[in-house]
Amino acid sequence: MKDLKHLIYFENLLQEANNDLVQQATKDGKLALGYTCYHMPEVLLNLDNCFSVRLRAPRTGSMDIATYYLSNFLCGYTKALLERAIEGGYNFLSAFLGGETCSEMNRCMEHFEILKLIPNDKFFVSFFDMPFKTDEHCLDSYMQQIKMKVLDKLHDVYGVDTSSDAIRKAVELHNEVCKIISEIGEYRKEENPRITGYEFHILCLISYCCPKYLVIDKLRETLEELKTRVPDAKKNYRAKVVVVGSEMDDPDFTKYIEESGALVVADRFCFGSFPGREEIVINDGEDPLRAVCRHYLKTSQCPRFMEQAKVDNRKAFVAQLAKDYHAEGVIYEQIKFCEFWGYERALASHIITNEYGIPSVSIDRNYTANGTGQLRTRVQAFVESLEIKRIHKAKEAKNK
Amino acid sequence: MSKGLGTIHQNKTGLYKHREWRGFRDTMFDYYRWLVTWKDMIKMILKAPISIVKGLFRYRWMASYLTTPAFVDRHVEGLRGPQLRMAHLHYNMIVKHATGVIATSFMADEKSNPNNKLSKKIVCLDELIPLEVMAGFPNLIGIPVQTMPIFLVSMVDQQSVPPYLDSVENYGVPADVCPLPSAEAGVAIEDDYPKLGTCMVVCNMPCDGSVMTSSFQDRRFKLPTHVYNVPLRYNGEDVQEYAVNEVKAMIKFIEEQTGETFNWDTFLAALNTYNKQLEFEQQKWDVNKTNYPQLTGASFWLYRLYYYHLSGGFDKRFLEVDKKVNKIMLDSYAKKNPVSKVVRHRAVVWSCPANYYTSFPVWLENCWGINVVMDMETMISMVKFDTTSHEGALGTLAKSYQRTTMRKHTKGGYKNVVDELWRVCEEFKADMVIMYDQISCKGMDGLVGTFEDQFRERKIKFVWVQQDLMDSRTISRRDMREQVNKYMTSVLQEKPVDESLVDFDDTEAW
Repeated sequence: MKDLKHLIYFENLLQEANNDLVQQATKDGKLALGYTCYHMPEVLLNLDNCFSVRLRAPRTGSMDIATYYLSNFLCGYTKALLERAIEGGYNFLSAFLGGETCSEMNRCMEHFEILKLIPNDKFFVSFFDMPFKTDEHCLDSYMQQIKMKVLDKLHDVYGVDTSSDAIRKAVELHNEVCKIISEIGEYRKEENPRITGYEFHILCLISYCCPKYLVIDKLRETLEELKTRVPDAKKNYRAKVVVVGSEMDDPDFTKYIEESGALVVADRFCFGSFPGREEIVINDGEDPLRAVCRHYLKTSQCPRFMEQAKVDNRKAFVAQLAKDYHAEGVIYEQIKFCEFWGYERALASHIITNEYGIPSVSIDRNYTANGTGQLRTRVQAFVESLEIKRIHKAKEAKNK
Repeated sequence: MSKGLGTIHQNKTGLYKHREWRGFRDTMFDYYRWLVTWKDMIKMILKAPISIVKGLFRYRWMASYLTTPAFVDRHVEGLRGPQLRMAHLHYNMIVKHATGVIATSFMADEKSNPNNKLSKKIVCLDELIPLEVMAGFPNLIGIPVQTMPIFLVSMVDQQSVPPYLDSVENYGVPADVCPLPSAEAGVAIEDDYPKLGTCMVVCNMPCDGSVMTSSFQDRRFKLPTHVYNVPLRYNGEDVQEYAVNEVKAMIKFIEEQTGETFNWDTFLAALNTYNKQLEFEQQKWDVNKTNYPQLTGASFWLYRLYYYHLSGGFDKRFLEVDKKVNKIMLDSYAKKNPVSKVVRHRAVVWSCPANYYTSFPVWLENCWGINVVMDMETMISMVKFDTTSHEGALGTLAKSYQRTTMRKHTKGGYKNVVDELWRVCEEFKADMVIMYDQISCKGMDGLVGTFEDQFRERKIKFVWVQQDLMDSRTISRRDMREQVNKYMTSVLQEKPVDESLVDFDDTEAW
């Protein structure tokens, strides 16, 4: 396939959290608001003169100091962020916002406060209380928390316009980006997709980590480019898979999976597009803040949701993705020491294989895609098993 | 304090070569209480002999409860006079109540007694939900489902949990997650929970692992299930309306599932009783703040933990025990009796203790003269219930439930566990902190560096003791002791109070 025009530009942007576009936006007088979790509604960090940056720590090396503070037993993502913060890598931030959604990230965020890591008098870290289910009174509480701990604070500290009109405006831009990413994602349903999982991962990450108003034109251009892109006649993969699991912001993982013979056609992980790139619907006469909070509460696929319907839906959702995107298997991945995904990976891979009849493989991994020999071996073996299953199926069909 | 306590046990198994000699009076009293423990256990069997015997053969964990007298023995080692009497009163109440819960569970177990009526009266609750809410349903029985099959038994017998951990790890759950919820999932995988109840209430307490273990257990229980959500950022008033709505939703669910109506009279009466228990608790704390603490060692926190979750205010036996214990305590305090013969350090124990070594504070006292005057598990909710109005009662109940075991300190922000520790040290005049490093507790792991930074600033003797909560294979009891031994000899350069307790092997002990 012909290379995407902006791919190298996008790849370079992902080499730094404080990339060129982030720098440009801060120079423009915009406020950079950091977040790490889906439950912090991204769209609300793009109000008025703010822009959201979903925090990553690309090219992470040693995490010795973060390990001193967070021990050996916390996930690499939290430690990489703390290490980078201690190094001064997030000094551009005006605030860091999130909920106490997992203990590990919560402790990481707290250290921004304890160690006073950001040299900005106005910088603040805000924690909201996030419910574990989706009842109406949970939505009420979630909304109240977001208003109090995020919007009001932004207004009070930085004078940000958090009115309903500002929210509607932010939703418009957000939806436009989501629409572009989703349209690009639709091409992954094709029999021989015109976009690889790696390329899509890059585009998706860009949409999370760069100021949207600065990147939207190039994303739009990429979508146009894809409309006429012709895939290679000979398929470059041996099986299609859905990747499901915890936080994954290093696109090299997708690259290595694809180099091992599996094409990633759907991404159900944090920093992926399911969920994350669905358009937000505000009904007529509805309070836009309520609509936004409802959207994130309902669409979240995080394993911390405990109600039975949500628990069951998580597996059904993955099965549906596999069906819609013609995937033959599911790769359940978990960043090491992630408590939520440690359980979910074990149980869900069992259910998806034994109850939904979709082959799956379950892997744990580090934060960065270093030392991926094990990962490649596991994926290669999985791809082979999918091929064998395909051969057996064909034989059975023939015998019938 | 006896010399040579380490010599009365057999190597590895820890079995007694002979009982401890405490002087004629105390030895006879201790032996009498040992007989009382057996009496209560036999009484349990006689309550429903067939069901209990079936349970004994059906459930792996049940056999461990036969070692309960040894559990009590371990925890009263070295105690004399009032301390021995108070400890026995505490442990006996735990035994009495626990045997009752086990008997009820086996009688209602549909695996051995299909279609029994008792099962229909039972509401299964997550063990972290204190039972006060069930006081509003006097015709129903609340059973904290994980308490007997895994939580309590892990304290009674260190060998009871590993098979369940192996099971869950074989299933694919990583070994680095907290072993408590992991073992609970293991019991579900092994189908080792009694099958009982008409409905189930699960909750998000205390931690992320507990949230996740529910999905394993739900698949086994197959009961109509309600999720009771407790706010995490509990210090703020901004979450209290939500917290109360959650309590109301839980009550509504139980009403709908059982056809019972919430009885405010019995509920408020139970809260009043519980308030009295709290007054007794406060007295214990106040005495321990003085130069003559009376309740150190393990019984203080174990009893507190037990009654907070299981008395529910409606089991008045606990109040009777409190009255007796506090009378002994105040008498002893008035006489300015030392809590043990040698008190070298007043320590605060912080973070989650190892379930497989609940008698660790007893060893600290006997071996090194480290008396634990306060600990994290004791310092759970002290919210007094407002019984003047229904809303007030629910409001304070919700607040109390936000401050349950392990959760009060590990959630809601680092100040709840870091700043709180320094406050407690000051209040209880502690010169030492025994800091459990529960290696799989992510909430505590995430603060190790901050604790290090801050204790140095405060110049407090700070002893890290690594442990793995439920898995004695990872870090054994002996390994835990060794960490203290090293600190005491290398850093403080002290001599042990009882040389025979410094190093011994109890890997095969219960």
